[in-house]
Amino acid sequence: MKKIILIAKKEFLDMFRDKRTLMRMIMIPLLVFPLIIYLITTVQESQSEKEALKELTIGYYLNGQSSDMIDRMDTAAPFNFLAYEDTAAITADIKAQNINLGIWFGQDFDQKYSAGEQATCGIFYRAANSEEYERFDNLIDLQKEYLVQERLALNELPADYVQPVSFIMNDKSTVEEVIGKYAGGILPYIFMAFCFMGCMLPAIDLFAGEKERGTIETLLVTPVNRVHVLVGKMIVVTSFGLLSATIALVGLVGSLYLMGDGGALTDAIAKIVTPQLVITLYLLLIPVAIFFAGIMIPVSVYARSFKEAQSILTPLNIAVIVPATLGFLPGLELTYTTAWIPIVNVVMATKAIIAGNAEMGPMIITFVSLLVLSALAVFVSFKQFGKESNVLR
Amino acid sequence: MIIVDNLYKSFKLSKKQRKEFNTADSEAVPVDKISFKCEPGRIFSLLGPNGAGKTTTLRMISTIITPTSGKIEVAGYDVATQPNEVRKSIGFLTGSTGLYERLTADEVLKYYADLNYVPKAEFETRKKHYYDLLDMHDFAGKRIGQLSTGMKQKVSITRTMIHHPDVVVFDEPTSGLDVITAENIIKLIRDCKIEGKTVIFSSHIMSEVDLLCDDLAIIDKGKILYNDTMANFRANMKADSLTREFIRIVNENKKVNA
Repeated sequence: MKKIILIAKKEFLDMFRDKRTLMRMIMIPLLVFPLIIYLITTVQESQSEKEALKELTIGYYLNGQSSDMIDRMDTAAPFNFLAYEDTAAITADIKAQNINLGIWFGQDFDQKYSAGEQATCGIFYRAANSEEYERFDNLIDLQKEYLVQERLALNELPADYVQPVSFIMNDKSTVEEVIGKYAGGILPYIFMAFCFMGCMLPAIDLFAGEKERGTIETLLVTPVNRVHVLVGKMIVVTSFGLLSATIALVGLVGSLYLMGDGGALTDAIAKIVTPQLVITLYLLLIPVAIFFAGIMIPVSVYARSFKEAQSILTPLNIAVIVPATLGFLPGLELTYTTAWIPIVNVVMATKAIIAGNAEMGPMIITFVSLLVLSALAVFVSFKQFGKESNVLR
Repeated sequence: MIIVDNLYKSFKLSKKQRKEFNTADSEAVPVDKISFKCEPGRIFSLLGPNGAGKTTTLRMISTIITPTSGKIEVAGYDVATQPNEVRKSIGFLTGSTGLYERLTADEVLKYYADLNYVPKAEFETRKKHYYDLLDMHDFAGKRIGQLSTGMKQKVSITRTMIHHPDVVVFDEPTSGLDVITAENIIKLIRDCKIEGKTVIFSSHIMSEVDLLCDDLAIIDKGKILYNDTMANFRANMKADSLTREFIRIVNENKKVNA
């Protein structure tokens, strides 16, 4: 045990002194989410502000009808209405992007409206500029409402005549259930993606790197059992995976917390990220991290160089990311079947824990299958590390 | 003392390796039933061209790889059954030995001392001895990555000797080093002899062998072609120089096998 600790201590020191390690396993996971969230919110806010202030030019063709509706809409500040003599000219100008949108009236619009029938009005828009259409649509909605109310008043009918029933909606699901269903997969997904990345660099450096630097022979000549060497190094690989994932989660939760600024989002986070969830998450993810280390170490032991190991391991990332994304699919839940699928079961189990509907049976299967898998990965690593053709390749 | 008896090592060749080595054989035999003995207080040299089987032999002696058959005894311990005892008795240095670039010289030495069960007080005494001897005090706290090749070699020497091994294995220890840096290694090998240690070193440079060794074995294609004292080698030479004699023996063996 002493030798395992000695090897692990040395490897920790070695790794912590590597600038690449600090950058990729601590700085990036810590800053990636605060930066992404900051950038998204800042860009989104400034874009929305810009869009709201941008004047939209709407071409209109009255087609011999009254201009009442246009006059009412023209009072809205960032809209500029421009009269046209026909729809062809409006279409041409929209295509040329000289104006933003267009509206035309049917030739019997006034007559039909006055007669209590359905009048026709057409709109020209570009789907590629959906935000422009949405702004104009809001304006149109106000007009629709105005026309309905005007017609009801003319016919001396009450304002809610066209809404015979008022449905009172009452959501009985908890915040945890909603988040568990729609966003619960994000936590384990992020954890696993960063855990994988966190394991990768030390796994390569401590095995393929040691071979490349020519230090492996001197280590193997010391009176330390090879299993102890492997376990000492594996502890470091696993720990860096967990460390990297933990830092990423702290970064994510911290930035969401700050963004929430004491509001509903902050309350929701506090409700979800409970000590129970954290403990269960780690109980599931420690075997996953060991499993990751266990699949990376044999590759790294086999590879001749750092570069070779990296080129084999990087595509493996997809094998982790793709099953983890299944967690986002609605309807897929932790069952006696999905509990056997590695990676997927962790995502499903975490979702179930957050939603508060985790069943004991599938949870036990998940945990036990992960333990078996990690033990298998350790065994494969040991076999590969013991092969002299690999170690001295 | 090192006793090598009928040592044999074979590797299975993969399809890719067979293509790489341009052979139809399913097995490679880098060491083919060799026997020799290295005495304490004497320097034994394993001389041979590249690919002769020197490194494989030394790796088997050092327990890094296991023999297919045959027996090796190091300092009275059997390599196959008592590998940890053998490792405790061995110092191992190669020309391509690397050091942990991100650790300081002090940290590297402490790590290897701890791995070799060296008590703290003993470690400090030995460390001071080598630091004084090799003038290492100035860079003891510097990271290996910042050191020159000569400084790194001094750290490697101290690393090899920190646990006071009875047997020292040098695999082409001066390969790639300049004359000044190589001189430190030559001195170390001589000091080991004076201290009564068993020394085995491999080389393909005859002048280096001539300078140092007491006993010599010439190896090629896994087989021992010559094994005697250096004095007898010099006395029975048929060529006009040591290097030519070495080449003559190797070529003669090729003719026999052709």
